Amino acid sequence: MEMENSNGSASSSAPALAPAQSQNGQHEDPGGFKLKFCTVCASNQNRSMEGHLRLSQAQYPVISFGTGSLVRLPGPSISQPNVYKFNETSYDSIYRELEAKDPRLYRANGLLNMLGRNRVVKWGPERWQDWQIGMPRIKHEKDQGSEGMEGGIADVVITCEERCWDAVVDDLLSRGSPLNRPVHVINIDIKDNHEEALVGGRAIVDLADSLNKIAAEEREKIGATAFDSGSGMGRSGFDERVPDVLAEWQERWPNLPSTWTLAWF
Amino acid sequence: MAAAPVKTLSVSEQIQQLNAARKIVLENAAYYDRIVKGILPIIGPTSPVELRRWGAEFLAESLSTPALTTRDKENLTVAILGTLRALVESPNEDPLVLKASVMAAASAYPVVVRWIIHNSYHVESWELMSAIKSRILQIWDGAVTPVKISCIKFAQRVVLAQTASNGLDPKYNGLDISLSMIPANHPVLDPRLLEAEATGLLDRMLGVLQDNSSDALLVDATLNTLSVLVRTRPGTSSRITNVVLNFNPLKLANSPMTPRNKVLIKSMEKTTRMLLIHLLKRDPNNPMSGRIQQHVERLMRSRAEIFDEANRKRALGEQGAAGYNDAKRQRVEVGPPQPQVQPLAPGPQSLAAVFTLTKDQGLQGFDVTQVPAAFASRVNVRTLIGIDQQILDQAIYTVRSRLSALYAATPAAPAPPVTSSAEINAETAPLGVDEDDDDYEPNFFAAEDTEQILNKLDSAPPEEPPAQNADSTSLATLGQFKLPTPPALGPETAMRASQVTASRIFGPLSILEEPTLRKTKAGINRLAASSYDRDAWLTLITRLATRSSAGLEDADSNVKSEDAGTSLDKSSTTLSTMVREMLYNYVLEDWRRRIEVAVAWLCEEWYNDQITKRSKTEAPLHYETWALRLVDGFISYLTPQDKVITRFFAEIPELSKGLLGRLKALCGDPTTVQLALTTLLYLVMMRPPVREVALDTVSEIWLEYEEARPLAAKYLVKWRPGFIESHTRGAAAIEEGSSDGTPNSTAMLST
Repeated sequence: MEMENSNGSASSSAPALAPAQSQNGQHEDPGGFKLKFCTVCASNQNRSMEGHLRLSQAQYPVISFGTGSLVRLPGPSISQPNVYKFNETSYDSIYRELEAKDPRLYRANGLLNMLGRNRVVKWGPERWQDWQIGMPRIKHEKDQGSEGMEGGIADVVITCEERCWDAVVDDLLSRGSPLNRPVHVINIDIKDNHEEALVGGRAIVDLADSLNKIAAEEREKIGATAFDSGSGMGRSGFDERVPDVLAEWQERWPNLPSTWTLAWF
Repeated sequence: MAAAPVKTLSVSEQIQQLNAARKIVLENAAYYDRIVKGILPIIGPTSPVELRRWGAEFLAESLSTPALTTRDKENLTVAILGTLRALVESPNEDPLVLKASVMAAASAYPVVVRWIIHNSYHVESWELMSAIKSRILQIWDGAVTPVKISCIKFAQRVVLAQTASNGLDPKYNGLDISLSMIPANHPVLDPRLLEAEATGLLDRMLGVLQDNSSDALLVDATLNTLSVLVRTRPGTSSRITNVVLNFNPLKLANSPMTPRNKVLIKSMEKTTRMLLIHLLKRDPNNPMSGRIQQHVERLMRSRAEIFDEANRKRALGEQGAAGYNDAKRQRVEVGPPQPQVQPLAPGPQSLAAVFTLTKDQGLQGFDVTQVPAAFASRVNVRTLIGIDQQILDQAIYTVRSRLSALYAATPAAPAPPVTSSAEINAETAPLGVDEDDDDYEPNFFAAEDTEQILNKLDSAPPEEPPAQNADSTSLATLGQFKLPTPPALGPETAMRASQVTASRIFGPLSILEEPTLRKTKAGINRLAASSYDRDAWLTLITRLATRSSAGLEDADSNVKSEDAGTSLDKSSTTLSTMVREMLYNYVLEDWRRRIEVAVAWLCEEWYNDQITKRSKTEAPLHYETWALRLVDGFISYLTPQDKVITRFFAEIPELSKGLLGRLKALCGDPTTVQLALTTLLYLVMMRPPVREVALDTVSEIWLEYEEARPLAAKYLVKWRPGFIESHTRGAAAIEEGSSDGTPNSTAMLST
């Protein structure tokens, strides 16, 4: 169990290195185009937060949510989960509460480690259904990945479980797409444990890099438009290439089944 | 990038300034009006493309922001229209600029409609909006996909604003602006024209679904705009629902299953299904909900089939046979819509083969008799409800023609009327479900035939001979058949088998009726296990556990020292232990209700122990062990209401100090003190032989559990006068108090 701890703490330093290498190009070009991401899981604790952290370390604007009714964390037994309210409880307060309850247990099962990571990423778990899409998010400067998210919208939503994808798509249908803004909603099935979350985090960054690459390419095609825009097939935009990117990504990550749709904010 | 360095610098500087301006409005929405109007000149159609992109995206953001109410946006929107029109009308405009401009127009549309409803004098803004609208509708078809998507959304907003609302619409971002708000005699807006336009636009939007397009992006984009229309614009709902129900998102499955196609198929299917489920959930009373439900189920089935098949196919493909390609494609086509059926191969056929319509090897090998009848009938009913009439007709026709071909081929048969023979055989199919032809022995067949007649299919007798004929030919083709010799039975396997057997003994318990009415007790004359109900079965089990190896165990203990016999011993002892173990689990699963079983079992154990003792062998005794285990098993679950424990202790045949000692543990919990002491009191009063042991236990409780003292003292004062006094005086005279009874001996009670 101690091992898991050390794994966990190692994980936060390892990705810090990796993006530094892969992001070199983007660091040199601060104006480089960045897609805005949103990660979603059930409790906005493990998988979405791992994704949030990784994407922010890779310099992407990112926010994250949970679709559950409450934040549920494992407790001393399966029938005694620790339950918290979304939007009202900070990671830090959960951390301190669990640490006071049973430091040995919650260190051993990796919860404290996870919460420790989360509390440096942002203030607390947020619920997808309560998110006012498009409301400016200027009070979140301290959140990692907040830079670029000031407009309060995302280009791509990545959910970590089919159930969450369903909840997101259903919620978007309910909202009635008031903003008229397309959004790619992609599910990646990640099992809800610390190890799989790490793998999932890598896969999410890989997907983000691939998507951002085609989005940036689309932006660069300025000259071509002048004589090409009428002919349709001559060029294809970001949106059309998303399924291709996803198909290629799926070949690279065959164990993380994915689903995609183009929905509306 | 490509432009001269000096220019890029100035553009990027400008963008920096623009970003700063945007930050201000994000922080305070009150500045939107001023800042948007201020930047309009910078982002016009003659500006560099970077600025136009930034500008168009900013306009789209400003017009859609939830930070402003629809009323707040009116001013802003009207001010923007000119620039917006210039952007969408400028020839060869950059797709990103166009996309964002159309998005902005979609947000502007309802606001402008609302504005015109109340300010009909301001015709020019309506003219601007109309120009933008016709331009967008004009570029829609020829536009690149990202722009097309925005056009779909724009059209949706037009439809939303120009159809009558049912009042259920969300009251934000102009979603509530509808035809219902436009007065019939409005000077600028003619509701009838607007509604007609909306109907046309809706048709155009739905075109992508009606054409069953495989462009997942357009399909998804369309599907995901429809929910709000169906829910809040009743005029559109049945039309939309029908189109969605007729849309087949799995059509693409007919083309090669590339990774990209897989993504597209999955996406379209799931998006369609999500929309339907969403509509079903929001409006379960919808008259179409039955159809929607069915469609959703059908989609899920087909999807599972396609992706199952795809997986299987890939495995085949990996075998590398290039020749498989065609077969592969064919198989997918078979999929949901049209099952293609091959004619039978020449030569004798089994009846099963005649009725086999699938080409799937796995399905052909599937033994339907494995499916429980109840489940099979449910599947059948479901399938018959959902099945396409054409497919059914085709299947019937195929089987019929196969049969007539077969009859034509068998020379001996005096050809009976084709149709009736087909019917008769159709009936025999479910009866003789097995593929093996062995089942079709003449007399067996005849026996079933009477059932057929009962099955209301009339006048069958003359058809028997040909059926027999077909059977005999197929039997001949089978040749000799020998069962393979079974593997040798080792002690290990025998063990495992007996374990399975033992567990199966418990199977009937769940099926057997619980005797609801307690019939009059037969008394001493009753015969055990003669009533064939659950009690009887339990008697059987308890005796199996206690007596089956009664004579054998003593032998074990003698042989145990010798290694040679151990495996046998183990199995023989474990057999009864196994049954005991299962019985124990059975009781504990629901011990409150099964306490009677426990008592009956312990009585048997006790009896068996008595017999063993009488035979003076070294055989182990079981009563005490299992009684203790049972008590230990449920004692920690006891609640103050569980009077059943009193009964248990009163009824089991023998009580030892150890057993009663278990009751002491209850006194650790103040809520169960009363229960423990009442139980003991009952024993003291009603079972004189154990009175002293029970009183010993009470006195120990008095000594060990401070909280239990008041109650224990009450009983002790009555039943063991002098005990408390002797202790409170500090004299250690416990021995004296309990000297009458033999403390460690067990007291007995005959049952």
